[in-house]
Amino acid sequence: MPSADPAVLAFDCSTTACSAAVLAGGAVRAARFRTLARGQAEVLLPMITEVMAEAGLDWPELGLIGVVVGPGSFTGLRIALATARGMAFAAGLPVAGVTSCEAVAHGVPEVERRGQTLLVAVDGKREDLFLQPFAADLTPLAPPRALMAEAAARLAEGPVLIAGDAGERLAAALPGARLSSAPPLPDARIVAALALARWRAGTALPPDPLYLRPPDVTLPPGAPAA
Amino acid sequence: MIILGIETSCDETAAALVRDDRVILADVVLSQLDEHRPYGGVVPEIAARAHLDHIDRLVAEAFRRAGLELQAVDAVAATCGPGLIGGVIVGAMTGKAIAAVTGKPFIAVNHLEGHALTARLTHGLEFPYLLLLVSGGHCQLLEVRGVGDYARLGSTIDDAAGEAFDKVAKMLGLGYPGGPAVQKAAERGDAARFSLPRPLKGKPGCDFSFSGLKNAVRLLIQEQENLSAQDRCDVAAAFQLAVADSIAGRSAKALRAFAARHGGARSLVVAGGVAANSLLRQRLGRLAAEEGFTLVAPPLALCTDNAAMIAWAGLERFRLGQSDGLDFAPRPRWPLDPAAPRLPGAGVKA
Repeated sequence: MPSADPAVLAFDCSTTACSAAVLAGGAVRAARFRTLARGQAEVLLPMITEVMAEAGLDWPELGLIGVVVGPGSFTGLRIALATARGMAFAAGLPVAGVTSCEAVAHGVPEVERRGQTLLVAVDGKREDLFLQPFAADLTPLAPPRALMAEAAARLAEGPVLIAGDAGERLAAALPGARLSSAPPLPDARIVAALALARWRAGTALPPDPLYLRPPDVTLPPGAPAA
Repeated sequence: MIILGIETSCDETAAALVRDDRVILADVVLSQLDEHRPYGGVVPEIAARAHLDHIDRLVAEAFRRAGLELQAVDAVAATCGPGLIGGVIVGAMTGKAIAAVTGKPFIAVNHLEGHALTARLTHGLEFPYLLLLVSGGHCQLLEVRGVGDYARLGSTIDDAAGEAFDKVAKMLGLGYPGGPAVQKAAERGDAARFSLPRPLKGKPGCDFSFSGLKNAVRLLIQEQENLSAQDRCDVAAAFQLAVADSIAGRSAKALRAFAARHGGARSLVVAGGVAANSLLRQRLGRLAAEEGFTLVAPPLALCTDNAAMIAWAGLERFRLGQSDGLDFAPRPRWPLDPAAPRLPGAGVKA
Protein backbone atom coordinates (compact mmCIF):
# COMPACT_ATOMS: atom_id res chain seq x y z
CA MET A 1 0.00 0.00 0.00
CA PRO A 2 1.73 3.23 -1.10
CA SER A 3 2.09 5.85 1.57
CA ALA A 4 -0.06 8.97 1.22
CA ASP A 5 3.02 11.13 1.49
CA PRO A 6 5.84 9.13 -0.04
CA ALA A 7 9.41 10.37 -0.14
CA VAL A 8 10.33 11.37 -3.70
CA LEU A 9 13.66 11.22 -5.50
CA ALA A 10 13.53 13.45 -8.60
CA PHE A 11 16.06 14.26 -11.27
CA ASP A 12 16.35 15.97 -14.63
CA CYS A 13 18.81 16.04 -17.55
CA SER A 14 16.48 17.38 -20.25
CA THR A 15 18.30 20.65 -20.94
CA THR A 16 21.73 22.13 -20.29
CA ALA A 17 21.58 21.27 -16.59
CA CYS A 18 21.61 18.27 -14.33
CA SER A 19 19.73 18.29 -11.05
CA ALA A 20 18.56 15.89 -8.35
CA ALA A 21 16.47 16.37 -5.23
CA VAL A 22 14.82 14.46 -2.42
CA LEU A 23 11.42 15.59 -1.15
CA ALA A 24 10.13 14.05 2.09
CA GLY A 25 7.47 15.06 4.56
CA GLY A 26 6.57 18.07 2.42
CA ALA A 27 10.07 19.54 2.42
CA VAL A 28 13.07 19.37 0.12
CA ARG A 29 15.64 17.44 2.18
CA ALA A 30 18.55 17.71 -0.25
CA ALA A 31 19.10 19.15 -3.71
CA ARG A 32 21.85 19.68 -6.27
CA PHE A 33 21.76 21.70 -9.48
CA ARG A 34 24.55 22.11 -12.04
CA THR A 35 24.46 23.76 -15.43
CA LEU A 36 26.42 21.77 -17.98
CA ALA A 37 26.05 21.33 -21.71
CA ARG A 38 27.27 17.72 -21.70
CA GLY A 39 28.49 15.09 -19.27
CA GLN A 40 25.21 14.36 -17.48
CA ALA A 41 25.95 10.63 -17.83
CA GLU A 42 28.94 11.17 -15.51
CA VAL A 43 27.35 13.62 -13.10
CA LEU A 44 23.84 12.24 -12.52
CA LEU A 45 24.47 9.11 -10.43
CA PRO A 46 26.98 10.69 -8.02
CA MET A 47 24.51 13.58 -7.62
CA ILE A 48 21.71 11.15 -6.79
CA THR A 49 23.76 9.22 -4.24
CA GLU A 50 24.76 12.56 -2.67
CA VAL A 51 21.18 13.79 -2.23
CA MET A 52 20.08 10.40 -0.92
CA ALA A 53 22.88 10.44 1.64
CA GLU A 54 22.30 14.06 2.63
CA ALA A 55 18.57 13.40 3.04
CA GLY A 56 19.48 10.43 5.24
CA LEU A 57 17.28 8.14 3.18
CA ASP A 58 17.83 4.57 2.13
CA TRP A 59 16.23 3.20 -1.04
CA PRO A 60 13.46 1.23 0.72
CA GLU A 61 12.31 4.48 2.34
CA LEU A 62 11.56 6.08 -1.03
CA GLY A 63 8.05 5.88 -2.42
CA LEU A 64 8.34 7.52 -5.82
CA ILE A 65 10.80 8.52 -8.54
CA GLY A 66 10.05 11.75 -10.38
CA VAL A 67 11.67 12.43 -13.75
CA VAL A 68 11.44 14.87 -16.65
CA VAL A 69 10.40 12.91 -19.77
CA GLY A 70 10.94 15.76 -22.24
CA PRO A 71 10.86 17.60 -24.47
CA GLY A 72 14.55 18.45 -24.58
CA SER A 73 17.92 16.97 -25.50
CA PHE A 74 17.34 13.41 -26.76
CA THR A 75 20.51 12.17 -25.08
CA GLY A 76 19.63 13.96 -21.84
CA LEU A 77 16.16 12.43 -21.80
CA ARG A 78 17.64 8.97 -22.29
CA ILE A 79 20.20 9.53 -19.51
CA ALA A 80 17.47 10.41 -17.02
CA LEU A 81 14.92 7.85 -18.22
CA ALA A 82 17.36 4.90 -18.38
CA THR A 83 18.35 5.82 -14.82
CA ALA A 84 14.74 6.15 -13.65
CA ARG A 85 13.71 2.88 -15.27
CA GLY A 86 16.76 1.03 -13.94
CA MET A 87 16.01 2.35 -10.45
CA ALA A 88 12.31 1.52 -10.76
CA PHE A 89 13.26 -2.06 -11.65
CA ALA A 90 15.84 -2.41 -8.89
CA ALA A 91 13.91 -0.68 -6.11
CA GLY A 92 10.40 -1.69 -7.16
CA LEU A 93 9.34 1.96 -7.23
CA PRO A 94 6.77 3.73 -9.39
CA VAL A 95 7.98 6.50 -11.71
CA ALA A 96 6.04 9.72 -12.25
CA GLY A 97 6.98 11.66 -15.38
CA VAL A 98 6.51 15.40 -15.86
CA THR A 99 7.38 17.61 -18.85
CA SER A 100 10.31 20.02 -18.96
CA CYS A 101 7.87 22.82 -19.86
CA GLU A 102 5.72 22.11 -16.76
CA ALA A 103 8.80 22.07 -14.55
CA VAL A 104 9.89 25.50 -15.86
CA ALA A 105 6.31 26.85 -15.64
CA HIS A 106 6.05 25.90 -11.98
CA GLY A 107 9.10 28.02 -11.24
CA VAL A 108 7.38 31.20 -12.47
CA PRO A 109 6.22 33.37 -9.53
CA GLU A 110 2.46 33.73 -9.18
CA VAL A 111 2.71 37.52 -9.23
CA GLU A 112 4.26 37.47 -12.72
CA ARG A 113 1.71 35.03 -14.12
CA ARG A 114 -1.40 36.91 -13.05
CA GLY A 115 -3.58 37.76 -16.08
CA GLN A 116 -1.04 36.30 -18.51
CA THR A 117 -0.83 33.32 -20.79
CA LEU A 118 2.49 31.63 -20.03
CA LEU A 119 4.47 30.21 -22.96
CA VAL A 120 7.38 27.97 -22.02
CA ALA A 121 10.01 27.56 -24.75
CA VAL A 122 12.64 24.83 -24.40
CA ASP A 123 15.65 24.86 -26.70
CA GLY A 124 15.60 21.89 -29.06
CA LYS A 125 18.97 22.69 -30.70
CA ARG A 126 17.19 23.07 -34.03
CA GLU A 127 15.32 25.81 -35.85
CA ASP A 128 12.07 24.98 -34.11
CA LEU A 129 11.42 25.24 -30.37
CA PHE A 130 9.64 23.00 -27.91
CA LEU A 131 6.65 25.02 -26.76
CA GLN A 132 3.83 24.60 -24.29
CA PRO A 133 1.20 27.19 -23.27
CA PHE A 134 -0.20 27.46 -19.74
CA ALA A 135 -3.04 29.47 -18.20
CA ALA A 136 -2.15 31.92 -15.41
CA ASP A 137 -2.97 29.20 -12.84
CA LEU A 138 -0.51 26.82 -14.67
CA THR A 139 -3.22 24.64 -16.21
CA PRO A 140 -1.68 23.37 -19.48
CA LEU A 141 -3.60 24.78 -22.45
CA ALA A 142 -2.08 22.28 -24.91
CA PRO A 143 0.50 19.50 -24.87
CA PRO A 144 4.13 20.44 -25.69
CA ARG A 145 4.87 20.73 -29.41
CA ALA A 146 7.85 21.38 -31.67
CA LEU A 147 7.07 24.66 -33.44
CA MET A 148 8.80 27.52 -35.19
CA ALA A 149 8.89 30.61 -32.99
CA GLU A 150 6.77 32.49 -35.57
CA ALA A 151 3.95 29.95 -35.18
CA ALA A 152 3.86 30.45 -31.41
CA ALA A 153 1.66 33.54 -31.63
CA ARG A 154 -1.25 31.25 -32.44
CA LEU A 155 -0.79 29.38 -29.16
CA ALA A 156 -1.51 32.34 -26.89
CA GLU A 157 -4.20 34.97 -26.64
CA GLY A 158 -3.97 38.20 -24.72
CA PRO A 159 -0.88 39.24 -22.75
CA VAL A 160 1.93 36.71 -22.99
CA LEU A 161 4.64 35.86 -20.48
CA ILE A 162 7.58 33.81 -21.71
CA ALA A 163 9.86 31.42 -19.80
CA GLY A 164 12.41 28.71 -20.63
CA ASP A 165 15.92 28.55 -22.07
CA ALA A 166 14.63 29.41 -25.58
CA GLY A 167 12.62 32.29 -24.12
CA GLU A 168 14.70 35.02 -25.73
CA ARG A 169 14.41 33.43 -29.16
CA LEU A 170 10.66 33.20 -28.73
CA ALA A 171 10.38 36.76 -27.39
CA ALA A 172 12.12 38.05 -30.53
CA ALA A 173 9.27 36.57 -32.60
CA LEU A 174 6.47 37.74 -30.27
CA PRO A 175 6.51 41.53 -29.98
CA GLY A 176 4.83 42.70 -26.80
CA ALA A 177 5.49 39.50 -24.86
CA ARG A 178 7.35 39.81 -21.54
CA LEU A 179 10.15 37.58 -20.33
CA SER A 180 9.70 35.98 -16.91
CA SER A 181 12.33 36.36 -14.21
CA ALA A 182 11.99 32.61 -13.47
CA PRO A 183 14.96 30.25 -13.82
CA PRO A 184 15.03 29.14 -17.47
CA LEU A 185 15.98 25.49 -16.81
CA PRO A 186 14.02 22.75 -15.00
CA ASP A 187 15.10 22.11 -11.39
CA ALA A 188 14.67 18.75 -9.64
CA ARG A 189 13.25 20.48 -6.52
CA ILE A 190 10.25 21.58 -8.59
CA VAL A 191 10.16 18.28 -10.48
CA ALA A 192 9.87 16.38 -7.17
CA ALA A 193 6.86 18.37 -5.94
CA LEU A 194 5.21 18.32 -9.34
CA ALA A 195 5.77 14.58 -9.80
CA LEU A 196 4.23 13.90 -6.39
CA ALA A 197 1.19 16.07 -7.13
CA ARG A 198 0.69 14.47 -10.54
CA TRP A 199 1.14 10.97 -9.11
CA ARG A 200 -1.43 11.62 -6.40
CA ALA A 201 -3.85 13.01 -8.97
CA GLY A 202 -3.25 10.02 -11.26
CA THR A 203 -2.07 12.33 -14.05
CA ALA A 204 1.66 11.55 -14.05
CA LEU A 205 3.22 10.61 -17.39
CA PRO A 206 4.79 7.16 -17.89
CA PRO A 207 8.62 7.05 -17.97
CA ASP A 208 8.66 7.20 -21.78
CA PRO A 209 10.61 9.85 -23.68
CA LEU A 210 8.68 12.74 -25.18
CA TYR A 211 10.91 13.34 -28.21
CA LEU A 212 8.34 15.27 -30.31
CA ARG A 213 10.51 14.65 -33.37
CA PRO A 214 11.12 11.50 -35.40
CA PRO A 215 14.74 10.32 -35.71
CA ASP A 216 16.65 12.56 -38.11
CA VAL A 217 17.03 10.08 -40.95
CA THR A 218 15.66 9.69 -44.45
CA LEU A 219 14.88 6.43 -46.22
CA PRO A 220 17.13 5.63 -49.17
CA PRO A 221 15.36 6.10 -52.53
CA GLY A 222 13.22 3.16 -53.52
CA ALA A 223 13.29 1.64 -50.03
CA PRO A 224 10.03 0.22 -48.68
CA ALA A 225 8.51 2.12 -45.74
CA ALA A 226 9.59 0.95 -42.28
CA MET B 1 30.04 -15.24 -8.08
CA ILE B 2 27.24 -14.01 -10.38
CA ILE B 3 27.48 -10.95 -12.62
CA LEU B 4 24.72 -9.09 -14.47
CA GLY B 5 25.80 -7.94 -17.94
CA ILE B 6 24.18 -5.24 -20.08
CA GLU B 7 24.96 -4.56 -23.76
CA THR B 8 23.57 -1.69 -25.89
CA SER B 9 26.50 -0.49 -27.99
CA CYS B 10 25.16 -1.20 -31.48
CA ASP B 11 21.88 -2.75 -32.66
CA GLU B 12 21.39 -5.57 -30.15
CA THR B 13 19.78 -4.85 -26.79
CA ALA B 14 20.94 -7.55 -24.38
CA ALA B 15 21.07 -8.63 -20.74
CA ALA B 16 22.69 -11.73 -19.25
CA LEU B 17 23.62 -13.41 -15.97
CA VAL B 18 26.88 -15.36 -15.84
CA ARG B 19 28.48 -17.36 -13.02
CA ASP B 20 32.20 -17.73 -12.34
CA ASP B 21 32.16 -21.47 -13.12
CA ARG B 22 31.55 -20.41 -16.76
CA VAL B 23 27.82 -21.08 -16.66
CA ILE B 24 25.51 -18.70 -18.51
CA LEU B 25 22.42 -18.53 -16.30
CA ALA B 26 20.45 -16.32 -18.69
CA ASP B 27 21.26 -14.69 -22.01
CA VAL B 28 18.57 -12.44 -23.53
CA VAL B 29 19.18 -10.64 -26.84
CA LEU B 30 16.75 -8.47 -28.77
CA SER B 31 17.86 -7.64 -32.30
CA GLN B 32 16.83 -4.33 -33.85
CA LEU B 33 17.39 -5.68 -37.36
CA ASP B 34 13.84 -4.95 -38.53
CA GLU B 35 14.03 -1.33 -37.36
CA HIS B 36 17.25 -0.66 -39.31
CA ARG B 37 16.70 -2.83 -42.40
CA PRO B 38 14.84 -0.17 -44.46
CA TYR B 39 17.88 2.13 -44.11
CA GLY B 40 20.45 -0.49 -45.16
CA GLY B 41 22.46 0.04 -41.98
CA VAL B 42 22.26 0.89 -38.30
CA VAL B 43 20.76 4.36 -37.65
CA PRO B 44 22.22 5.63 -34.34
CA GLU B 45 19.16 7.59 -33.17
CA ILE B 46 16.79 4.72 -33.98
CA ALA B 47 19.14 2.34 -32.11
CA ALA B 48 19.34 4.58 -29.03
CA ARG B 49 15.55 4.91 -28.86
CA ALA B 50 15.03 1.17 -29.18
CA HIS B 51 17.60 0.40 -26.44
CA LEU B 52 15.73 2.65 -23.98
CA ASP B 53 12.40 1.08 -24.94
CA HIS B 54 13.56 -2.44 -24.07
CA ILE B 55 16.60 -2.72 -21.80
CA ASP B 56 14.85 -2.63 -18.41
CA ARG B 57 12.38 -5.28 -19.56
CA LEU B 58 15.22 -7.49 -20.85
CA VAL B 59 17.13 -7.21 -17.57
CA ALA B 60 13.99 -8.30 -15.70
CA GLU B 61 13.56 -11.15 -18.20
CA ALA B 62 17.14 -12.34 -17.58
CA PHE B 63 16.48 -12.60 -13.84
CA ARG B 64 13.18 -14.38 -14.50
CA ARG B 65 14.83 -16.94 -16.81
CA ALA B 66 17.65 -17.56 -14.34
CA GLY B 67 15.16 -17.87 -11.48
CA LEU B 68 17.24 -15.38 -9.48
CA GLU B 69 16.51 -12.38 -7.29
CA LEU B 70 18.35 -9.13 -7.94
CA GLN B 71 20.30 -9.47 -4.68
CA ALA B 72 21.90 -12.69 -6.00
CA VAL B 73 24.30 -10.74 -8.22
CA ASP B 74 27.73 -9.73 -6.95
CA ALA B 75 28.26 -6.86 -9.39
CA VAL B 76 26.68 -5.08 -12.34
CA ALA B 77 28.63 -4.85 -15.61
CA ALA B 78 27.57 -2.69 -18.54
CA THR B 79 29.20 -1.87 -21.87
CA CYS B 80 30.48 1.69 -21.56
CA GLY B 81 32.08 1.85 -25.02
CA PRO B 82 33.22 1.78 -27.72
CA GLY B 83 30.11 2.02 -29.86
CA LEU B 84 27.22 4.25 -30.87
CA ILE B 85 27.31 6.59 -27.92
CA GLY B 86 23.54 7.22 -27.66
CA GLY B 87 22.98 3.52 -27.15
CA VAL B 88 26.02 2.99 -24.94
CA ILE B 89 24.69 5.69 -22.59
CA VAL B 90 21.35 3.89 -22.18
CA GLY B 91 22.97 0.63 -21.06
CA ALA B 92 25.58 2.39 -18.92
CA MET B 93 22.94 4.40 -17.05
CA THR B 94 20.72 1.35 -16.57
CA GLY B 95 23.67 -0.51 -15.08
CA LYS B 96 24.70 2.39 -12.87
CA ALA B 97 21.13 2.82 -11.60
CA ILE B 98 20.83 -0.86 -10.66
CA ALA B 99 24.26 -0.75 -9.00
CA ALA B 100 23.33 2.38 -7.03
CA VAL B 101 20.08 0.91 -5.70
CA THR B 102 21.50 -2.52 -4.84
CA GLY B 103 24.77 -1.16 -3.48
CA LYS B 104 26.66 -3.63 -5.72
CA PRO B 105 29.88 -2.62 -7.49
CA PHE B 106 29.61 -1.24 -11.03
CA ILE B 107 31.96 -2.44 -13.76
CA ALA B 108 32.34 -0.38 -16.93
CA VAL B 109 33.14 -2.95 -19.59
CA ASN B 110 34.96 -2.32 -22.85
CA HIS B 111 32.78 -3.98 -25.49
CA LEU B 112 35.91 -5.19 -27.31
CA GLU B 113 37.18 -6.83 -24.13
CA GLY B 114 33.86 -8.69 -24.04
CA HIS B 115 34.65 -10.17 -27.45
CA ALA B 116 38.30 -10.71 -26.51
CA LEU B 117 37.55 -12.77 -23.39
CA THR B 118 34.61 -14.81 -24.73
CA ALA B 119 36.85 -17.79 -25.55
CA ARG B 120 37.68 -18.04 -21.83
CA LEU B 121 33.95 -18.26 -21.05
CA THR B 122 33.20 -20.81 -23.77
CA HIS B 123 36.46 -22.79 -23.92
CA GLY B 124 38.25 -21.96 -20.68
CA LEU B 125 41.19 -20.82 -22.81
CA GLU B 126 44.40 -19.78 -21.03
CA PHE B 127 46.30 -16.56 -21.84
CA PRO B 128 47.96 -15.66 -24.15
CA TYR B 129 46.16 -16.13 -27.49
CA LEU B 130 45.72 -14.34 -30.77
CA LEU B 131 42.30 -12.78 -31.42
CA LEU B 132 40.85 -11.88 -34.80
CA LEU B 133 37.84 -9.65 -34.20
CA VAL B 134 35.80 -9.20 -37.38
CA SER B 135 32.46 -7.46 -37.06
CA GLY B 136 30.33 -4.67 -38.46
CA GLY B 137 32.16 -2.16 -36.29
CA HIS B 138 35.68 -3.57 -36.01
CA CYS B 139 38.41 -5.53 -37.74
CA GLN B 140 41.44 -6.12 -35.53
CA LEU B 141 44.15 -8.63 -34.68
CA LEU B 142 45.01 -8.52 -31.00
CA GLU B 143 47.45 -10.34 -28.81
CA VAL B 144 45.43 -11.16 -25.69
CA ARG B 145 47.98 -11.39 -22.87
CA GLY B 146 45.69 -11.01 -19.87
CA VAL B 147 42.67 -9.15 -18.56
CA GLY B 148 43.19 -5.52 -19.57
CA ASP B 149 46.47 -6.44 -21.31
CA TYR B 150 46.31 -6.30 -25.11
CA ALA B 151 48.67 -5.56 -27.97
CA ARG B 152 47.15 -4.58 -31.28
CA LEU B 153 48.96 -6.30 -34.15
CA GLY B 154 46.67 -4.96 -36.83
CA SER B 155 43.48 -3.03 -37.45
CA THR B 156 41.43 -1.83 -40.36
CA ILE B 157 42.66 1.52 -41.59
CA ASP B 158 39.25 2.41 -43.06
CA ASP B 159 36.09 0.27 -43.09
CA ALA B 160 35.29 -2.69 -40.84
CA ALA B 161 34.84 -6.02 -42.62
CA GLY B 162 31.12 -6.22 -41.80
CA GLU B 163 30.66 -2.67 -43.00
CA ALA B 164 32.18 -3.66 -46.37
CA PHE B 165 29.77 -6.61 -46.61
CA ASP B 166 26.85 -4.26 -45.87
CA LYS B 167 27.93 -1.70 -48.44
CA VAL B 168 28.56 -4.27 -51.18
CA ALA B 169 25.22 -5.94 -50.44
CA LYS B 170 23.56 -2.54 -50.79
CA MET B 171 25.29 -1.92 -54.16
CA LEU B 172 24.14 -5.32 -55.38
CA GLY B 173 20.63 -4.82 -54.03
CA LEU B 174 20.94 -7.93 -51.87
CA GLY B 175 19.43 -6.49 -48.69
CA TYR B 176 20.58 -5.98 -45.11
CA PRO B 177 22.47 -7.25 -43.16
CA GLY B 178 25.04 -7.73 -45.89
CA GLY B 179 27.06 -10.65 -44.49
CA PRO B 180 24.42 -13.38 -44.79
CA ALA B 181 23.03 -11.80 -48.00
CA VAL B 182 26.42 -11.79 -49.76
CA GLN B 183 27.21 -15.31 -48.57
CA LYS B 184 23.88 -16.62 -49.89
CA ALA B 185 24.36 -14.99 -53.30
CA ALA B 186 27.99 -16.14 -53.45
CA GLU B 187 26.89 -19.77 -53.06
CA ARG B 188 25.42 -19.56 -56.57
CA GLY B 189 28.24 -17.45 -57.96
CA ASP B 190 31.53 -18.04 -59.73
CA ALA B 191 34.26 -16.31 -57.75
CA ALA B 192 36.74 -16.72 -60.60
CA ARG B 193 34.70 -14.74 -63.14
CA PHE B 194 35.79 -11.33 -61.84
CA SER B 195 39.18 -10.37 -60.52
CA LEU B 196 39.20 -8.09 -57.47
CA PRO B 197 42.19 -6.66 -55.58
CA ARG B 198 43.55 -8.14 -52.33
CA PRO B 199 43.99 -4.97 -50.21
CA LEU B 200 47.43 -4.36 -48.63
CA LYS B 201 48.74 -7.65 -50.07
CA GLY B 202 52.51 -7.79 -49.65
CA LYS B 203 52.54 -4.68 -47.45
CA PRO B 204 54.30 -4.90 -44.09
CA GLY B 205 52.29 -5.21 -40.89
CA CYS B 206 48.93 -6.80 -40.21
CA ASP B 207 46.53 -3.92 -40.90
CA PHE B 208 43.40 -4.37 -43.02
CA SER B 209 41.73 -2.20 -45.62
CA PHE B 210 38.38 -2.72 -47.28
CA SER B 211 37.63 0.69 -48.73
CA GLY B 212 39.56 0.15 -51.98
CA LEU B 213 38.02 -3.28 -52.45
CA LYS B 214 34.57 -1.78 -51.97
CA ASN B 215 35.33 0.86 -54.63
CA ALA B 216 36.63 -1.82 -56.98
CA VAL B 217 33.28 -3.60 -56.59
CA ARG B 218 31.49 -0.32 -57.30
CA LEU B 219 33.46 0.17 -60.53
CA LEU B 220 32.92 -3.45 -61.52
CA ILE B 221 29.16 -3.03 -61.10
CA GLN B 222 29.21 0.21 -63.12
CA GLU B 223 31.05 -1.56 -65.95
CA GLN B 224 28.32 -4.17 -66.34
CA GLU B 225 25.43 -3.15 -68.56
CA ASN B 226 22.24 -4.57 -66.97
CA LEU B 227 23.46 -6.53 -63.96
CA SER B 228 21.78 -9.95 -64.18
CA ALA B 229 20.97 -12.13 -61.20
CA GLN B 230 23.93 -14.33 -62.12
CA ASP B 231 26.21 -11.27 -62.40
CA ARG B 232 25.23 -10.28 -58.86
CA CYS B 233 26.03 -13.74 -57.54
CA ASP B 234 29.39 -13.75 -59.36
CA VAL B 235 30.33 -10.31 -57.99
CA ALA B 236 29.26 -11.41 -54.48
CA ALA B 237 31.40 -14.55 -54.76
CA ALA B 238 34.43 -12.61 -56.02
CA PHE B 239 34.06 -10.05 -53.23
CA GLN B 240 33.64 -12.67 -50.51
CA LEU B 241 36.72 -14.52 -51.75
CA ALA B 242 38.75 -11.29 -51.79
CA VAL B 243 37.73 -10.51 -48.20
CA ALA B 244 38.50 -14.04 -46.99
CA ASP B 245 41.86 -14.04 -48.82
CA SER B 246 42.75 -10.66 -47.43
CA ILE B 247 41.83 -11.49 -43.83
CA ALA B 248 43.59 -14.86 -44.01
CA GLY B 249 46.70 -13.24 -45.54
CA ARG B 250 46.98 -10.57 -42.86
CA SER B 251 46.16 -13.10 -40.11
CA ALA B 252 48.98 -15.37 -41.35
CA LYS B 253 51.49 -12.62 -40.61
CA ALA B 254 49.99 -12.05 -37.17
CA LEU B 255 50.13 -15.77 -36.37
CA ARG B 256 53.85 -15.85 -37.20
CA ALA B 257 54.55 -12.73 -35.16
CA PHE B 258 52.56 -14.17 -32.24
CA ALA B 259 54.32 -17.55 -32.45
CA ALA B 260 57.71 -15.85 -32.47
CA ARG B 261 56.85 -14.04 -29.24
CA HIS B 262 54.89 -16.68 -27.37
CA GLY B 263 56.38 -20.03 -28.42
CA GLY B 264 54.09 -22.68 -26.96
CA ALA B 265 50.80 -20.76 -26.91
CA ARG B 266 49.03 -21.62 -30.14
CA SER B 267 45.38 -20.55 -30.22
CA LEU B 268 43.71 -18.33 -32.80
CA VAL B 269 40.34 -17.08 -31.55
CA VAL B 270 37.88 -15.62 -34.01
CA ALA B 271 35.00 -13.42 -32.82
CA GLY B 272 32.51 -10.92 -34.23
CA GLY B 273 29.56 -11.28 -36.58
CA VAL B 274 31.70 -11.74 -39.72
CA ALA B 275 33.09 -14.91 -38.10
CA ALA B 276 29.77 -16.44 -39.18
CA ASN B 277 30.93 -16.39 -42.80
CA SER B 278 31.62 -20.02 -43.69
CA LEU B 279 34.25 -19.32 -46.37
CA LEU B 280 36.20 -17.18 -43.89
CA ARG B 281 35.94 -19.85 -41.19
CA GLN B 282 37.16 -22.45 -43.67
CA ARG B 283 40.12 -20.28 -44.70
CA LEU B 284 41.03 -19.50 -41.11
CA GLY B 285 40.76 -23.18 -40.13
CA ARG B 286 43.15 -24.13 -42.92
CA LEU B 287 45.52 -21.29 -42.06
CA ALA B 288 45.58 -22.17 -38.36
CA ALA B 289 46.35 -25.81 -39.18
CA GLU B 290 49.18 -24.80 -41.53
CA GLU B 291 50.72 -22.57 -38.87
CA GLY B 292 50.34 -25.12 -36.06
CA PHE B 293 47.54 -23.19 -34.31
CA THR B 294 44.14 -24.33 -33.04
CA LEU B 295 41.21 -22.27 -34.31
CA VAL B 296 38.85 -21.46 -31.44
CA ALA B 297 35.46 -20.16 -32.58
CA PRO B 298 32.87 -19.54 -29.88
CA PRO B 299 29.29 -20.45 -30.88
CA LEU B 300 27.82 -17.87 -33.21
CA ALA B 301 25.39 -16.44 -30.64
CA LEU B 302 28.41 -15.56 -28.48
CA CYS B 303 30.46 -14.27 -31.45
CA THR B 304 27.92 -11.59 -32.33
CA ASP B 305 26.97 -8.88 -29.83
CA ASN B 306 25.52 -10.27 -26.60
CA ALA B 307 25.50 -9.49 -22.89
CA ALA B 308 26.94 -12.81 -21.66
CA MET B 309 30.35 -11.68 -22.90
CA ILE B 310 29.91 -8.36 -21.09
CA ALA B 311 28.97 -10.13 -17.85
CA TRP B 312 31.98 -12.44 -18.30
CA ALA B 313 34.43 -9.60 -18.98
CA GLY B 314 33.00 -7.84 -15.92
CA LEU B 315 33.46 -11.03 -13.92
CA GLU B 316 37.08 -11.40 -15.01
CA ARG B 317 37.79 -7.83 -13.93
CA PHE B 318 35.78 -8.10 -10.71
CA ARG B 319 37.61 -11.19 -9.48
CA LEU B 320 40.86 -9.25 -9.94
CA GLY B 321 39.44 -6.68 -7.55
CA GLN B 322 38.56 -4.11 -10.20
CA SER B 323 35.42 -1.97 -10.40
CA ASP B 324 34.49 1.53 -11.58
CA GLY B 325 32.86 4.64 -10.17
CA LEU B 326 29.30 5.67 -10.94
CA ASP B 327 30.84 8.76 -12.59
CA PHE B 328 32.37 6.65 -15.38
CA ALA B 329 32.00 8.52 -18.68
CA PRO B 330 30.71 6.40 -21.59
CA ARG B 331 33.22 6.42 -24.47
CA PRO B 332 32.54 6.34 -28.23
CA ARG B 333 36.18 5.30 -28.80
CA TRP B 334 38.00 3.00 -26.37
CA PRO B 335 40.91 1.06 -27.84
CA LEU B 336 41.99 -2.12 -26.03
CA ASP B 337 45.61 -1.24 -26.70
CA PRO B 338 45.95 2.44 -25.78
CA ALA B 339 49.58 2.44 -26.95
CA ALA B 340 48.64 1.56 -30.54
CA PRO B 341 48.61 4.58 -32.86
CA ARG B 342 45.35 6.15 -33.99
CA LEU B 343 44.40 5.32 -37.56
CA PRO B 344 42.61 8.44 -38.83
CA GLY B 345 40.75 6.63 -41.64
CA ALA B 346 39.29 4.14 -39.17
CA GLY B 347 37.74 6.79 -36.89
CA VAL B 348 36.55 5.23 -33.64
CA LYS B 349 37.21 1.72 -34.97
CA ALA B 350 40.89 1.75 -33.97
